[in-house]
Amino acid sequence: MSDPQRLQLLRSINEAADAELLRSLRDHANDRMASKRSELPIDQFYTELNEAYDAMIRRAISLAEAHMARVGMGFPPVPYAYLLFGSGGRCEQTLSSDQDSGLVYEDEPDVEKAEANRNYFAKLSRQVVLVLERLGFPRCEGNVLSDNPAWSMSLSSWNKQLDEWFEHPAWESVRYLLIVADGRCVYGDSLLLDRMQDHFFANMGKHPIIIGRMLENTMRHKVLVGIFGQLLKERYGEDTGSIDMKYGAYIPMVNAIRLMAIQQEIRNTSTLERMKALQKAGVLSDEDARSYSEAFLLFLQLRLMTTEKQEMGMYANNGKLAVRTLTRDTIEQLKRGLRIGKRLQRRVFKQASVRLR
Amino acid sequence: MVKKLMLSVVALLMLFPAMAFAADEGPSTSLLNMGLNSVWIVVAFVLVLLMQGGFILLETGSTRMKNAGHVAGKTIFTIGLCTLIYWAFGYGIFNGGADISEGLRKFIGWGDFFYSPVTSAGEGDSFPVTAFFLFQLAFATISLSIAWGGFAERAKLSVYLVFTIFFTAVVYPVIAHWIWGGGWLAADGAQDYAGSTVVHLTGALAAMAATILLKPRIGKYNKDGSANEILGHNQVFSALSVLLLWVGWFGFNAGSALSVGDGFFGFVAFNTMLGAGAGTVSALLISWAITGKADISTTLNGALAGLVAITASCAFVDPWAAVVIGLVAGVLVFFSAKLFEKLRIDDPIYAMSVHGAAGVWGTLANGLFATDELATKVGVGQGGLFDTGSWHQFGVQLESVVVCGLYVLIASFIILGVMKLVMGLRVTEEQEIVGLDLSEHGTYGYPEQMKKAQNNNLQA
Repeated sequence: MSDPQRLQLLRSINEAADAELLRSLRDHANDRMASKRSELPIDQFYTELNEAYDAMIRRAISLAEAHMARVGMGFPPVPYAYLLFGSGGRCEQTLSSDQDSGLVYEDEPDVEKAEANRNYFAKLSRQVVLVLERLGFPRCEGNVLSDNPAWSMSLSSWNKQLDEWFEHPAWESVRYLLIVADGRCVYGDSLLLDRMQDHFFANMGKHPIIIGRMLENTMRHKVLVGIFGQLLKERYGEDTGSIDMKYGAYIPMVNAIRLMAIQQEIRNTSTLERMKALQKAGVLSDEDARSYSEAFLLFLQLRLMTTEKQEMGMYANNGKLAVRTLTRDTIEQLKRGLRIGKRLQRRVFKQASVRLR
Repeated sequence: MVKKLMLSVVALLMLFPAMAFAADEGPSTSLLNMGLNSVWIVVAFVLVLLMQGGFILLETGSTRMKNAGHVAGKTIFTIGLCTLIYWAFGYGIFNGGADISEGLRKFIGWGDFFYSPVTSAGEGDSFPVTAFFLFQLAFATISLSIAWGGFAERAKLSVYLVFTIFFTAVVYPVIAHWIWGGGWLAADGAQDYAGSTVVHLTGALAAMAATILLKPRIGKYNKDGSANEILGHNQVFSALSVLLLWVGWFGFNAGSALSVGDGFFGFVAFNTMLGAGAGTVSALLISWAITGKADISTTLNGALAGLVAITASCAFVDPWAAVVIGLVAGVLVFFSAKLFEKLRIDDPIYAMSVHGAAGVWGTLANGLFATDELATKVGVGQGGLFDTGSWHQFGVQLESVVVCGLYVLIASFIILGVMKLVMGLRVTEEQEIVGLDLSEHGTYGYPEQMKKAQNNNLQA
C-alpha cells in the first residue's frame, strides 16, 4: 500500500459526492490500470483493480443509501449485506466486468414491517444497480442482480430458497447454487452471508448427490485445446482466429477448482485462494497447486488482453483473444496452460464420479 | 365349365405363343445377354437420374430459405433443357458417328445431331444405343448440377438457361469424348471408370469459374477478410440428399460396366460402398480432431468425397485401396473447404472441394493403386505405382487431370465472361437480399415462414 497514487484514488472514491464524480474516477482508474497492465505482477494487478472496484461499489451503495434518505425512504431498517457473485465474488473482475449481485437482510417477524423492509431494499438495490450502470458496469445478462427479487431476500427466505434448490436440483437450480458459492459480502454485515454459507454447506452434507449434478453443470465448457495440442480458435465471424479465453480457458478452471473447494467446505471465493486452501488441506500436491496456479495466472493475464470495447458508455468485452497478436512464446505457454487446465478438468471429473458410485 | 377352361387355355396360347413353341426356337445366348445388359443400363440410368433428387435436396438444404424454391425448381428446369441440348448437339460431340478425319476425331466427335437412333439393338450389339444415350445423358445432367453449386443464391435465372446450353453443347461432351469417346486421352490409356474427372471435376471447375466471376454472396466476408458462416436452412435435407446420391451412385459406378456379363459390376459396387464409408468416417474424425466439434456438413461432404474419389478407381483397385482412397478423400475435403474459404472463394455447396479436390484425388489415385490385373480386365491403361513400380500410369492420370481441368476452366471462363459482359451474371443487391424465390419467380418456396419472418422484421 505504499503507492501514493493508489491511496489517493481510494480516498477520492470514498469521498466522491455523486455518481458523476465516481464515473470520472472509474474512467481514471481504468486508464491507470490499463497502463500498469504490463508493469505489475498479474495477481497484484487483480488485487489493485478489485480493491478499486470494491471501493466504488461501496461508495455507490452509500450514495444510494443517502439518496433513499433524501427522498424520504429513511435508513436501512435492518442490517443487510450487499453480495457480489461471479467474477466480483471471486475478486477476479477485469477492466470490463459486468454486475452480478445480490442482497440479504436480517429477518423481521412482524409481517407488515417485513413488507416495508422488502420494499426498502427493493428500492435501494434498484438505485445501486442504476448508479453502477452509470459507472459503466453493465447489467448481468442472466439477471443475477440485486434489483431482481429472486436475488434479494431476507436471510430466512434465502435459506428456504437454498433448501428448494438443493431438494430439486434441476439444471437451473444447480447453476444458481454454483453462483451462490462464489458469493462475497462487499458492503454491510458479512455475518449474514456467513449464516447463508452455513446453511449452504449443511445442505451439501444432506444432499450428497448434488456434487454429481454440479459436475454435469460445470463441465460443459470445454478447454479449447485439441487432441494435437492445437488451439481451438473461432472459425467464423469477426473474431475469426481468436480463442475464447473466458469460456475456453478461464471458466473451466474456475469451475473445476470451485467444485473441489465446495467438496472440502472451503469458503474462500477467489480461485487462487481456493487453490491455496486445497493445497493446505492436502487435496492438491504442492506440485499440482503450483502448476494450476501458474496456468490460472496466465489465463488471468491473457484475459486482460481480450478485445475490449465501450458500448453505449458500458465497459464491455467479448472474452476473445486474437491469437495473431501473441508472441510465439506466449502461444506455447498458453497451449501448455490449456493442457494443464484440461488435465485438471479430467481429474475433477474422475474424482466426482468416483464419489457418486 | 370345361368349355370355359378350354377357351381360356386357347386364349392364353394365343397371347403367349412362345410358351407353346419354346422348345423349338429360344432366344440366342447373345440376345439374352443383350437383354440383360439393357435392363441393367436402363435401371442404372434411372438411378443416376434419381441422383438429381439428391442434388435438389443438397443444394436447397445448404442454402437459405428465401432461395429454396428457386434452387430446387431450377434443377428440374435445367435437366429438361440439358436433355434437349444433349439430344440435339451434345451427344454428337461426345460420340457422333459421322466420317471425320482421324486428327479431328482425337478432339471431338461429330454427327448424329438431333439423334435419331435405331429402335433396337443390332446383331452382335451388347446393348441398344438408346439405353446408352440415356445413360450418357444422365451423366451430363449430373455434371451440370454439380456446376450449379458455384452459382447458388446469387445468379440470375437467365444465366442458368444460357449456361446450360453452352455447357451441354461444348464443355461436357468434349471432355467425355477425350476420355470415353475414343478421344486422345482414351488412346493414352487414361483411367476414369465412371467419371471422377469427366463428370465431377468438369462440374466442379465450371462451378469454380462461376463462383469467381460472381464474387461471394453478400455477408459471406467481413471487411477484414474474415469469413462468416452462412448456414444452410435444413441439415436434414442435406443428409437425405447424401443418402439419395449414395444410392444413385450404384447406377453411376456399377452401371458404367455397361454389362451384366460375369458380374463384374458387383465388384465395382462393392468398392464404391467401401470408398463412401471410408470418406464419411475420416471426415467426421478429422473435423472433430481439428476443430473440437464433429461437424455434420463435413461428415456429409466426406461421404460424397469418398464417392467422387472412388468413381474413377472403383474398377481398377483392390478393396483395401478403395478404403484408403475414401479415407484420404474425407480428410482432403475438410482441408480443401477450409482452403477455398481462406482464398475468399465462396462455395456454398462445397462443389469445388467435394467434386473438384476429391475428383482430382480419385483420378490420380489410379496412378498409385490400380492393379495390372484389373486394368487388363477393364481394358484401359495399366497398373499403378504400387502394383507395377512404374510411374507411367500416374503420369497419364496427371496429364488427363491437368488438360481436362484447363480446358473446362478456360472454356467456362470464356463462356461466363462473355455472358457477364453481355447480360450480367448476378442479381441486384436488393434481389439477393429479398431472395431469388421472390425476385426470379414471384413466390416463396416457404410462403408461410417467409411471410412470418417479414412481419417480424417489420415489427422489429
